[in-house]
Amino acid sequence: MSRHTEIKQKVLRGVFEDNAGIPRSFHGKGRSRDAPVARPSTRTHVYRRAALVFVLGLVTLLGINFRLVRVDGTGPVAMQVATMPPLQFPTLPPGLLAGSTEEPATGPERLADGQSVRAAAHPVSPTGQYDAMLARLGIPVADLFNLEIQTIVIDPGHGGIDPGATGHGGLEEKDVVLDIAKRLRDKLVRSGHYRVLLTREDDRKVFLKERVAFAKENHADLFISIHINSLPDGAGNYNYVETYYFGPHADRRALELAEQENRDSDYRMADFRQVIARIGDTLKTEESKQLAGSIHDHLYGSLRHRVPGLLDAGSKAGPFVVLLGVEVPSVLVEVSCISNPAEETRLGTPAYRDHVADYLMAGITGYLEQRTNRRSIERGLTQNVAEQER
Amino acid sequence: MSPSKKDNMLYVGIDLGTSRSVVSASNGNRQWVDSYVGWPKDFVARKMLGKRVLFGSEALEHRLALHLTRPLRNGVITEGTERDEAAVHELIDHLVELAGAGPDDELCIAVGVPAEALKVNKIAIRNAVARHAKKLMVVSEPFSVAYGLGALDNTMIIDIGAGTVDFCIMHGTVPTEEDQRSILMAGDYLDEQLLKLLTEKHPEADFSLNTVRKFKEKHGFVGDSKRRIKIEAPVDGKFTEFDVTNEMRKACESSMPAIVETAIDLIASFDPEFQENVRNNIIVAGGGSQISGLENYLDEALKQFGPCKITCITDPLYAGADGGLQLAMDMPEEFLEKL
Repeated sequence: MSRHTEIKQKVLRGVFEDNAGIPRSFHGKGRSRDAPVARPSTRTHVYRRAALVFVLGLVTLLGINFRLVRVDGTGPVAMQVATMPPLQFPTLPPGLLAGSTEEPATGPERLADGQSVRAAAHPVSPTGQYDAMLARLGIPVADLFNLEIQTIVIDPGHGGIDPGATGHGGLEEKDVVLDIAKRLRDKLVRSGHYRVLLTREDDRKVFLKERVAFAKENHADLFISIHINSLPDGAGNYNYVETYYFGPHADRRALELAEQENRDSDYRMADFRQVIARIGDTLKTEESKQLAGSIHDHLYGSLRHRVPGLLDAGSKAGPFVVLLGVEVPSVLVEVSCISNPAEETRLGTPAYRDHVADYLMAGITGYLEQRTNRRSIERGLTQNVAEQER
Repeated sequence: MSPSKKDNMLYVGIDLGTSRSVVSASNGNRQWVDSYVGWPKDFVARKMLGKRVLFGSEALEHRLALHLTRPLRNGVITEGTERDEAAVHELIDHLVELAGAGPDDELCIAVGVPAEALKVNKIAIRNAVARHAKKLMVVSEPFSVAYGLGALDNTMIIDIGAGTVDFCIMHGTVPTEEDQRSILMAGDYLDEQLLKLLTEKHPEADFSLNTVRKFKEKHGFVGDSKRRIKIEAPVDGKFTEFDVTNEMRKACESSMPAIVETAIDLIASFDPEFQENVRNNIIVAGGGSQISGLENYLDEALKQFGPCKITCITDPLYAGADGGLQLAMDMPEEFLEKL
């Protein structure tokens, strides 16, 4: 095979990998040529069954009894926690946990719904084992379970008697973030992939606790809180973007296989909430960090071309109540500084707010694409490469 | 490779451009259209025009009777408004029609979008095309050009379009974000600069952005030129001749520093050994590649950083769509099945 042909094949495979990761809308206006609607292949069904078997195996391994309840003959599978006997954590091969230095757990672990479980007597903390496994493998938990994002909750900050930050010209944060949130909601809904909800649809005060409860009640899979920053008088006319996330975090082949076998599972993040309560912090932290990174990179990377002198304050962990309370990947984005007069003028124009919504959406879809790409690239394609190399 | 892996599969390459959109199909059809879409303003206009929607030069010609939109700005859907999205759908429908697919044909389409197109727009464009395509790929425009030229290794593509100038280094793989750059100082920017310069110098004359664009496409140049450029524009309703040589050069050269700087910056981000190979294989594509004197200008500017070789392609209008077509045709069946 000539070098050119070899390169060409590599490039074609790359194009395929790139495009296998882009979701299609299933809510188009129609198909002018009656193109067939995509249906899950037989292989997909096999994967799904395998995923189900794996998940049940894992659940059994973790000592949690689940009852699978089919809602109706064709509907989704819902999972409910049944009885909760003490957890029996497996002993993992010593080589897998070489890096683990966790101290044994002493107290009961608590699930999200308040049910307590006890760790079996074991020389190494089960949480530590699991964390160590995940850390060593470098596989995001969401990938391991192939969790799907269906519901996105957008939280426009402040509202009602709480205007948030106010610009020198009188523009109020609560109005700007509500408009951006609505635009973002409309754009995400138009993409046809997600159910998108706002914590407030109008100018009213919503307490942080209510915002968190709203996300929980609606089984949010992602939570994005939108704010505008402000600096006190005398602090200078700085203008910057910053994004916050809630923060701190097996034989490789075995878990890679698990990830592969979980492909195309239809389970949602919210369905898995109870299962992953034990590893929830890991999932929430790593996914929140990635979501925040993607949103921040897209927002700052795009806004800086429009906004002279815009500074990058980075994406970072922060102690925000609204992020601590929400149990799914969550970020709080401070779009820019309304205390900067030029920025206040920009925030007052619909076109600029529309751009901000575009960039936030790009960040969200960028994060979701990263997840999809991670999975598609790490799966069957490696098999193709291996075959071709042989 | 045979164009028909399946008898009823029509392979199509599409270049969705800010200024022009182009389609190239495996049945030999190659067409382009100005990226304008217009709907009749009322029933009188509809009756007069006899069409539900008009495209390209025809839409421009009847713009007073139309709700006219140029839905792609910077190569991606403008503003995200309903009208722009609808216009993109109409434009894609039209391009697919121009491809001349038979009623039973299945379409395998490769669409080129700007190198740094926002992911959301990439998805939006994909969704717009997906209504027609059995198989669909969305790739970066300069990559599409590179693929069509077979320039897959040790090459830099500079694609000067209307909305963006896209830079892409090919090194034997699909370019990643690190391998690509986009700047907005492209054709539209030059038009705005030229209009500004002409309006400042000849405030009495009536220049429009559209006429200025046509002047630039016909007479644009960079570097030295002995030729004087004279154009006619109305002054109080009477056409008057103006010498616009200096303004034309100044406008066309206004984006050159950014292009040179970006090219050098991108090349410098690679291994030094690799840099020399790339500098010696720089291909300039897109409508902007036809600006007179560009090859020499870039050669002079870039050779300060080491030996280099610049080539402007001969068929910039179809290079992206042809590359997309080639890509669609070359894609192995095993991959197509999974798309």
